[in-house]
Amino acid sequence: MKRSIPPGHWLLRSGSWSVLVDRRACLAGLTLSLALVVAGALSLASGSADIDAISAVRALFGVGEPMQVFLVRELRLERLLAGLFTGAALGIAGCLLQTLARNRLATPGVIGIDDGATAFAVASIVAVPTSLAPPALALIGAMTAAALAFGLAGGSGARGYRFIVVGIGVGAVFGALTNLMLARTDLDSANQAYPWTVGSLSARPWLAVQLLGIALLLAIPCAKGLNRALATLRFNDSVARGLGIDVARVRLLTLALTVLLTGLAVAVVGPVGLIALAAPEMARYLSGHRGVAVVNAGLAGALLMVCADWSGRTVLAPVEIPVGIVTAVIGGPYLLWILIRQPVRSTP
Amino acid sequence: MSLDPALLDANAEPASLNARDLSLGYGRTSVIERLSLDVPSHQVTAIVGPNGCGKSTLLAGLCRLHKATHGAVVLDGRDIARLPTRQVAQRLALLPQDASAPDGLTVEELIRFGRQPHQGPLRQWSEHDQRIVEAALAAADLQALADRPLESMSGGQRQRAWIAMAIAQATPLLLLDEPTSALDLGHQIEVFELIRDLAAAGKTVVMVVHDISSACRYADHLVAMHDGRIVAEGPPAEVVNSALIERLYGVKCELLRDPHSGTPIIAGVRRR
Repeated sequence: MKRSIPPGHWLLRSGSWSVLVDRRACLAGLTLSLALVVAGALSLASGSADIDAISAVRALFGVGEPMQVFLVRELRLERLLAGLFTGAALGIAGCLLQTLARNRLATPGVIGIDDGATAFAVASIVAVPTSLAPPALALIGAMTAAALAFGLAGGSGARGYRFIVVGIGVGAVFGALTNLMLARTDLDSANQAYPWTVGSLSARPWLAVQLLGIALLLAIPCAKGLNRALATLRFNDSVARGLGIDVARVRLLTLALTVLLTGLAVAVVGPVGLIALAAPEMARYLSGHRGVAVVNAGLAGALLMVCADWSGRTVLAPVEIPVGIVTAVIGGPYLLWILIRQPVRSTP
Repeated sequence: MSLDPALLDANAEPASLNARDLSLGYGRTSVIERLSLDVPSHQVTAIVGPNGCGKSTLLAGLCRLHKATHGAVVLDGRDIARLPTRQVAQRLALLPQDASAPDGLTVEELIRFGRQPHQGPLRQWSEHDQRIVEAALAAADLQALADRPLESMSGGQRQRAWIAMAIAQATPLLLLDEPTSALDLGHQIEVFELIRDLAAAGKTVVMVVHDISSACRYADHLVAMHDGRIVAEGPPAEVVNSALIERLYGVKCELLRDPHSGTPIIAGVRRR
């Protein structure tokens, strides 16, 4: 039984360089990208003034009626980019954290990072007068929650479940703080803080979107570089260390990436926790078991976010349903379906 | 069974492994105090002793999984704690007792992970890697099962797959923590014979073994531990006697000779 290269892979070779490409993961990535292009075009086309999808794409490149070009490029593109970036960031962060904790339930939302970010953002609006904008505070909140969960769980988080349990506790405390602040404030401030508690793309701060875009540009190569170490981290620690992986360093880098991406995403869109749970699941289902599908999780997250935002705007138009509520309504049953139809497995 | 020489080309320079004045512990509880050990090259060393004597902790210390509180483990003349973990993985392979793999992984994919210390982001595959993976499959007699998912295999097959992964690391040193626990007699013999073949081909093997008769039968060098200390060390036929067994396990026994190999066999075990 001689075969030249590992089954299910393509081999790219140049001189002494050799890179294996997982065929199924690669095709899954292409499929997700295609779907994303279609969803993006639909999202650009729909709104108060309907344009057909093809005109919308042409308008994006500056071709067509000036009014349509203005509408698409100045108004709708910003929202689409915000959706793409936040979805991708949450998908990647979810995938990284699930792998780190060796548990499919360990997403940034479940371990309290979203709650921390929300609590800090709400505090800046209703409780503490501050010169910092809510998005900046959301990032600080995400870091605080992650540091608390990580620190209280005993550092490296060698035991995945301990990290999760501690994180749930941290999240509950921050959630309670948010509710307390909202209950004690006047109606105007509470209204202003509302988008931060449900997750919405209607009030995205453009600076935060740009920052998130830059962070993604940096984070994707980093995550890709960690890919092989992360694939080895799916074994238990002693095996991974025996194979020459510096487990503590990989954990710290992965956690730092997760917090950065989650914090910036929540700073734009608020807590849309379900994306981080469902997108990696979808990517894994499409990509197979061989590797850690970080990039595909990002693509799936972007797709889910853009679709959720689009349907939230069109289903009950002109009333807009916040994207966080759409993902909860659609994503919940979808996740249940995935969990039920697969054999029960705890590792990602 | 013959081994592909490709599995041994990392052995060009023999490796040395020593514990120098080594202390290991958990928190404030000290398990091993000031222990020194020179692992004999190209031989099978078995560490034996009662439960809680520190034999698994010693093995974890020898392969840098457990940090020394005092003294050092010295690999090829250098402190193992100061060597990059990847460089250690090119010289020393280990099979922990609690090894677990991600779901869905096939035997061949598992074994391929053994090549990881020799690969990089832009060096993910070579003909040499492939040859070693196939040689490791052959050494563990797993060619027919190469595409089977690990979770669908029997305990004995799975253990052979894990050993094959450690073999594919192509290291001069191989450390195994109770490689035959939970295996039936036939599978135990298979694994021990494979370990003998590896030593005959030039590898240095250190293993923790629960059953002292197996240790006598398959090890060249026996390290008997009690209460965190080495109480006897040397070729099994020379160091094993009923006094040692009584000291280690608190039981009386008779010693026989294996009619086939001449190694000691414990018989007539009874309470003191």
